[in-house]
Amino acid sequence: MNILNIAATKKSPRVLFEPSKKLFEIKGNSRPENVRDFYYPIIESLRSYFDTLADEQKLIAESEDDPFKFNFKLDYFNSSSAKFISDILVIVKDFYEKGIQFKVYWYFEDGDDDMKEVGEDFSDMISFPFNYIMVQR
Amino acid sequence: MKKYDVIINFKGPITLAIIDDILHKLKWYLHTHVEDDKLIRKRVYSLAVECLDNIFKHSDLKDAENKLVQEYPPRFIVEFFNDTFIIHTGNIILNENVHIVIQRLSKLNKLADEDINQLYKDTLSNAEISEKGGAGLGLIVMAKTTREKINFDFEKINHKFSYFAMQLNLKTN
Repeated sequence: MNILNIAATKKSPRVLFEPSKKLFEIKGNSRPENVRDFYYPIIESLRSYFDTLADEQKLIAESEDDPFKFNFKLDYFNSSSAKFISDILVIVKDFYEKGIQFKVYWYFEDGDDDMKEVGEDFSDMISFPFNYIMVQR
Repeated sequence: MKKYDVIINFKGPITLAIIDDILHKLKWYLHTHVEDDKLIRKRVYSLAVECLDNIFKHSDLKDAENKLVQEYPPRFIVEFFNDTFIIHTGNIILNENVHIVIQRLSKLNKLADEDINQLYKDTLSNAEISEKGGAGLGLIVMAKTTREKINFDFEKINHKFSYFAMQLNLKTN
């Protein structure tokens, strides 16, 4: 089973994908030096995992009561990272339409209205509802 | 906080290490001077990242040894004046690219806030990451964040190059 487990650096976020726990999580700051090198493998892993899953109808049925959880706990991301975050969300939408269940949790700090707003923009863009969670620092 | 302050005053070639150094200094300043306003801190930081990224990726003449670069060095200045953070940037671009920049900035300056938001969402959905690693979102993010017109100007250097100067204003109240 392919699992992503990328440690955070000053410029790039921690990324975790544990299919056994049905959990994807991205956390921290994102302005990697080479944004394509950082995000392409993540996007490819996710897409290939869900491609396989979409072919296994049994697992789709199981996901109905136990959706995949996608946690976005970002403090800051630059504009080119935004493009790739939207690509990850498009995967959610694409496979939701194929019958896999997801829940998207969008975290933002108390007082960071811009981060909440950008979550709303993303949600709007993929026409998929997010759960917004405000955290205190 | 002082009523007037020059926070960053950088002139010279921009490298990734210099970007990190500038952002580190800016972050420290914002944490110590704008403690209670997280939104403003993040907006100034975000504008700085996009501006520095633009200078780094879109300067059409970068060689630090080049006489023109020495005469017209990239610049990145952040100051605080009259409750406004002002960011100045400058870099050399090819004359043939001037009209593209004018077109993009003039279009953004004509849009209302909600149209800029819509343009952001549309560009996000359709953007392709270029060879330079940009998504074409930088200028839109600047307009979206400042909610002010972007000032810009060009100075023709010679038959091939111009100096592109830009100024962003972010009001704090």
